[in-house]
Amino acid sequence: MRIVIAEDLYLLRDGMVRLIAAYGHQVVATAATGPETLDALLTWRPDVAVVDVRMPPTGTDEGLRAALAARTELPGLPVLILSQYVEQLYARELLADGTGGIGYFLKESVFDADQFIDALARVAAGGTAMDPAVIAGLLSSGTSHRRLGQLTEREHSVLALMAEGLSNQAISRRLYLSESAISKYTTSLFGKLGITDDDSGNRRVLAVLTYLNNPNNP
Amino acid sequence: MRELGSWAGRAGAGFVRACAVAALSMLVPAVWAGAVALGIRWGAANPWSWTAPLVLACTGTLALSRPLCRAVRFLVRTWTATVLPAGYRRAGPVTRMSTGQWWNGFSYERTRRDALRDQKWRLRWCDPATWRDLRFTVIVPFTAGVAAAVPPAGAAVAVLWLGRPAPAARLAGALGLAAALAGAPYAWRVLPVVAARFLRPSRAMVLAGRVQELTAQRADATLAQAAEIRRIERDLHDGAQARLVGLGLSLATAERLMESDPARARALMRDARAGAATSLTELRELVRGINPPVLSDRGLLDAVRALALDSPLEATVTAGGHLRLEAPVESALYFATAELLTNAARHAGATRARISLAHDGTHLVVEVEDDGHGGAAERPGGGLAGLRRRLAVFDGHLEITSPAGGPTHVRILVPCASS
Repeated sequence: MRIVIAEDLYLLRDGMVRLIAAYGHQVVATAATGPETLDALLTWRPDVAVVDVRMPPTGTDEGLRAALAARTELPGLPVLILSQYVEQLYARELLADGTGGIGYFLKESVFDADQFIDALARVAAGGTAMDPAVIAGLLSSGTSHRRLGQLTEREHSVLALMAEGLSNQAISRRLYLSESAISKYTTSLFGKLGITDDDSGNRRVLAVLTYLNNPNNP
Repeated sequence: MRELGSWAGRAGAGFVRACAVAALSMLVPAVWAGAVALGIRWGAANPWSWTAPLVLACTGTLALSRPLCRAVRFLVRTWTATVLPAGYRRAGPVTRMSTGQWWNGFSYERTRRDALRDQKWRLRWCDPATWRDLRFTVIVPFTAGVAAAVPPAGAAVAVLWLGRPAPAARLAGALGLAAALAGAPYAWRVLPVVAARFLRPSRAMVLAGRVQELTAQRADATLAQAAEIRRIERDLHDGAQARLVGLGLSLATAERLMESDPARARALMRDARAGAATSLTELRELVRGINPPVLSDRGLLDAVRALALDSPLEATVTAGGHLRLEAPVESALYFATAELLTNAARHAGATRARISLAHDGTHLVVEVEDDGHGGAAERPGGGLAGLRRRLAVFDGHLEITSPAGGPTHVRILVPCASS
């Protein structure tokens, strides 16, 4: 994978470059400010970009805005947002355009290097990778809370893992259940939520997330 | 016919009010008349016989002035819904000093009772409100008192003289009746005018009160700030700091065990990683409690929208007008909204909430309404009282309407210059 890293803290940037190199991927460019990020994304068109939300010069959500701007220019450009904190508002903004290649993770997810690289690969492939904290927020927020009330506890946990971006196979491993059991749960919960079932992992996640995001759902 | 009925009703009510005003404002003249009568009885020619009645009349006037003004304020409030602020000085705290004496803000006293009594009399004597009340007591009989006395006096003349045979007496009685009837709906209205003119706190009194209020607010703000800093220090010390020390220890041990016991070293390093993640979570929570990142990134409106998203309630946010404010005010409004949403979810059992932010030219108005069971009350030391105090630092107001059975509607007003 060709990767661009946008992060203003030198130590973290350097650490990520080394970690990614250790897994045999290539960091083609790094950026330390918002404008630099936009520039690097548009020039290099990487397979996936890792972007921090807060960046100089303003020290506000500069990185997020650069990523969103790059994605309007290059639709579907895979971006993994790596932030110090998870904010539902930002997650929803990222998901708003309905195309894939989106991730939103807490910075400490790099502690679990395997999982981090796995998420990068998923985003690069046009998939979705969401921090469990984002999913938990989406599932518990007022707009979706009541509509999800009809799901069973097991269906609920399957939905949460599905929204993170896991395939049926991965979910079955996580929950110690057979794959056919998982597909039974997904069919029933999709039926309850009125989402059309689709085998492609990414479209499935997007269906779930759009559903959770749209407060006007029945 | 209906007009006549309503006029009669107004005249009747006005007559009763006029009688009340006349009785009230003639109290002090009655005391003086009594004193004069006593003096004449004890010998009008002897100047010494006037001393005691004079002293009695002065004491009576002084003692009557404050209850009289209180009664007038009450009547004006009930009849015309005009609130005349009293503006009396409030007593400061009486504290025991290390010497064992009691300090009441003016002097040291041997016992608490003495200190309180001394404070009370000094406050009475120094309070400009006392002199204002006294001035009003002197003025009111000659203004509102005279006017209000017309209907009852006219009625009395009519009752006494209308029945007499002499035509002159009859004429006087008829005139009295006419005066009573014509004056009844209007006579009492002199009182609110006079009271508004002479019974309001003067500029100096309002200013003094404001200074006192600001001093208290400053003390509150300083205390709250100090408590907040202590909380942050404690959280850092007990949480992240301790965890980082543990992390360092684990890493040191792992380094030592690397060769001899790789399995244990690996386990320690895994623990260290988990510890680092936990300290990060704690630090993040701490930062959010001090200054929510969205608030500094995006400003109040988006921060409130983020709050609505995070809330377990079905919350909608509407906004209008310019909403740019100074950072401390935005922060106070953000935390106020957060607290109100939490209250709605936790205490009121609400499922929906409406938040609106608007600018009405002079104030920023934040309204939060939920569909819970209401009954929110402000208790001293409670969350709502704390909210009011924190908003008071910015001259903000908090209006709570929360009837039992709901819904709860809270309005926050913070003054700000229109941009």
